[in-house]
Amino acid sequence: MSPRARAFGEAGAFNPRLLVTGTRDLERRRKTAPGRWSLEVVGRTSAPARLTPTVVRADAPELLAEPFAVWAGGKAPEPLSSREIKGLRRFLALGGILFVDEFEPSDGSFLSGAKEQLVRVLPDASPIAIGDDNVVFRSFYMLRAAAGRVQKETKLQAIVRGGVTQVIFSPNDLMGALARDAGGVHPFEATPGGDAQREQAIRLAVNIAMYVLCSNYKDDQVHAPFLMRRRGSESP
Amino acid sequence: MSESWSFSGDLSRVWLLVALGLGGASLLLLVAEILGRPRKSVNAFFVGLTGVFALGFLLLAVLRPVRVFERSSSVGARLVVLADASRSIDLPADGAEARRAVENRALAALREHFSQVRSTQLAFGRGPPVPLEGKDVLRQPMLGSDLTRALEALAQGTDELPQALVVVSDGRLDSPTAEAIEGPLRAAMGGLSVPIHTVSLTSREPRDAAIRSVRLAGAVVAHQAARLEVEVGCTGGLACGEVRVSVKELHLGEPAVERAAGVVQVVEGRGSVPLAITLDRAGRRILEVALSAPDGDSIPENNRRFVTVDVARDRVRLLHVAGRPTYDVRSLRTWLKSDASVDVVAFFILRTRTDDVVAAQEELALIPFPVDELFTKHLQSFDAVVLQDFDAEPYGLSIHLRRLADYVRQGGGLIMVGGPNAFVSGNYAQTALAEVLPVGLRGISDKQAVDSVGFVPQLTRAGRRAPVFEPLKGLVGEHWPEMPGTNVVGDAREGSTVLLEHPRRRTESEAPMPVLALGEYGSGRSIALTVDGSHLLQFSAFASESGGRAHGAFWDAMLGWLMRDPRFEPAVVELPRGCIAGLPTTLQLRALFAEPGAEAEVTIERMGGGAKAKQVHVAFSNAEAPQPVDVGTLEAGGYTATVRLARQASSAPSRHDFACEVGGDEWADPRPDVARLAAIAKATGGLAVTPEAIRTLPLPSATRVVAERRVQPWLPAWCWTALAALAMGFHWVARRRSGFA
Repeated sequence: MSPRARAFGEAGAFNPRLLVTGTRDLERRRKTAPGRWSLEVVGRTSAPARLTPTVVRADAPELLAEPFAVWAGGKAPEPLSSREIKGLRRFLALGGILFVDEFEPSDGSFLSGAKEQLVRVLPDASPIAIGDDNVVFRSFYMLRAAAGRVQKETKLQAIVRGGVTQVIFSPNDLMGALARDAGGVHPFEATPGGDAQREQAIRLAVNIAMYVLCSNYKDDQVHAPFLMRRRGSESP
Repeated sequence: MSESWSFSGDLSRVWLLVALGLGGASLLLLVAEILGRPRKSVNAFFVGLTGVFALGFLLLAVLRPVRVFERSSSVGARLVVLADASRSIDLPADGAEARRAVENRALAALREHFSQVRSTQLAFGRGPPVPLEGKDVLRQPMLGSDLTRALEALAQGTDELPQALVVVSDGRLDSPTAEAIEGPLRAAMGGLSVPIHTVSLTSREPRDAAIRSVRLAGAVVAHQAARLEVEVGCTGGLACGEVRVSVKELHLGEPAVERAAGVVQVVEGRGSVPLAITLDRAGRRILEVALSAPDGDSIPENNRRFVTVDVARDRVRLLHVAGRPTYDVRSLRTWLKSDASVDVVAFFILRTRTDDVVAAQEELALIPFPVDELFTKHLQSFDAVVLQDFDAEPYGLSIHLRRLADYVRQGGGLIMVGGPNAFVSGNYAQTALAEVLPVGLRGISDKQAVDSVGFVPQLTRAGRRAPVFEPLKGLVGEHWPEMPGTNVVGDAREGSTVLLEHPRRRTESEAPMPVLALGEYGSGRSIALTVDGSHLLQFSAFASESGGRAHGAFWDAMLGWLMRDPRFEPAVVELPRGCIAGLPTTLQLRALFAEPGAEAEVTIERMGGGAKAKQVHVAFSNAEAPQPVDVGTLEAGGYTATVRLARQASSAPSRHDFACEVGGDEWADPRPDVARLAAIAKATGGLAVTPEAIRTLPLPSATRVVAERRVQPWLPAWCWTALAALAMGFHWVARRRSGFA
């Protein structure tokens, strides 16, 4: 494939854009996580991805440029402004998918704060737990549990609207597990599972990317017998 | 001027009877009174005489009789002859002579026999009867033979009602049927109570084997087995025994494909066989049903029927194959899955050979891409195939491209959506599939295969007028979002329609490069979209203006056009009078969104060989009104009429498949039905005769028409009153003198 062709095909490439609200910015060390996420997607799957993901503000028109964004933090988010609420509402109304990640699972204040703010965006929706029966857990890898830098919960939470998982809440600091500096060193240790846990976290990130790109493709009937056999052959 | 008289000039018949009744009763009372007296005398006789006079004058005073003077003339009766003008009159009568010749002789004989009456000769078929052209029955047969409809039109018409009717026919009528004659006739004729005489054209059954009927049990749905019942009849003593029948589906530019075959056991002149057929393509399909007739068959034309079947689509079954997951794939998939009328089977390449998944195979939720199975065994089960950013080479599709091209030629749909692995980059140039696409791929090197410079696609003139863009234009007007690049393609193929073009890029011929083109290939259709940014109609700042609905409107129209949805056809073709082989055929053409003064090019191609039968240019005097298009005479077979609006900047063509038959239903049963004609005559008090016995038909009596009528009283009313009073007075005096009360 020529470089020009790659550029032409990048319009629809996976791009884990970091969503910025209020005045907070991402912690420096975790800023490498979106790029790593893209790199893992490109290296492991056929999907194209932006290796230098962008940052987008919730109240900026650019939020509507692509259907995916990552909202992450370690402290309770500042209340969303009316423009930010409007921007996020339009983003979700068009079918966008938002991934919300907690940097401090032991505290959990960002996730609970984000949920409170998202109630203002989607007053009629509330998060539910999603496990391995959700397509996110089989969109590329067969996963039994959600993983991250820590292993606080085995399930994710999600806001499902019209049968579509639109907002995914990760309580396990997925971005922390993905972060890797230029020297190839992971700034955060995955506990308690170490590298095996980090691999599961990367697989979850790949699955989320494939869910964003393929929607519920793996829910198609044509895949069902195969996936049921494979689930059946797994050890409990 | 004739003179007569009447009891009264102004009293109705009822009051006349009442008055006479009262007078008679009074007379009886008077007689009873006189006879009841013990002594009869001259006085009693005198009382009775004056009483009779008094009653008589009283009655005359009430009735006041008049003289009537009339000027009248006698007019010959009106008689209507209904001549059967259906296709069956071209069947043989006795010997080599056609029933038409016998009918013409019969009409001449009727004219001579009824020369003393006012006779009108009309032809009947389907609908109201029409006047004959000259003295013979119509040269071009009419569709059907509905006698009850013709009678209904006569009874309800504004013309003078006839005193008698004569029907000239072979008795093979659509209505009334042999099972119910009197009821339908009475209902059709209403207040017209006149005798119907019938003249049967022949009573001889031809030696013939024919397909009597082809019946479908219920609706035919694409991809689902349908039950077809073929009935065969043998007449005239032709020994049939076992007759083989076959059912073939006709395609444009392709040999007919046999769908079913069976053997009919003919017992006592008839037999039938159920056949199961499965048609994969929805829409109007033409089937050829044929039998192998035994020796001695005198009407070979009815051994073959061309049946038009409207194949319904339960759901559009679509194969969506994507070379890699992208936002464009996501948007298209989301829309396809959201449409309940689409049954989508999707296969996306999620992993290439070079990808390192860092996992064992059993840890993956991936299944092998069943390319061979899909494009051999299951391909015909799909209504359309979408190849989105898919490279044919690495996934084994290349060896199936010829089959995919054949699939489109036989009526399938194909959409190729752009991306770095589509068109030339996807290794489709110089393959069989390249011929199917509406854009050329030759002469484009791999290095030139894509253009990464962003651009805004522009609607062509055809795009601005095309019905397929109307829903999208309703949401976003003629604007498109900026596309992040395009596959490079060549000129649009001849007959293709370019709806979107590149604002700067030129093809080899210096024409603007097509971005969205629609094309016909054989019986199928194909679409080429050279960009991978249609998702920007669903998710972008541009898309938010229309709530993301523009993407659905665009793809709904694309898929609809591919599936020949009438909403997206620029022209509609109909055959109001059907098509009879060997006789002039007229199409009715209606253009949608046509520019004033638009011209259409109508091409008629015969299915099977694909020979171009006719090409006609039509100018629309009024774009809104249906335009009749004479296409001349056609032979028996299946045809495709392709309409292209010439001044619409190469608008997408519209197709209409139709069949031409020599005899159709009218020839399916060539036996004359003399018994039915006799039953019609009997039910109405008419006579059933042969052409030779026309002179035995009774002449209807003449009608007397009064031109002037004058009424004059015998005496003025006061005279009658005075005479009645005088007579009553005498009677009173006589009664007093004779001792009557």
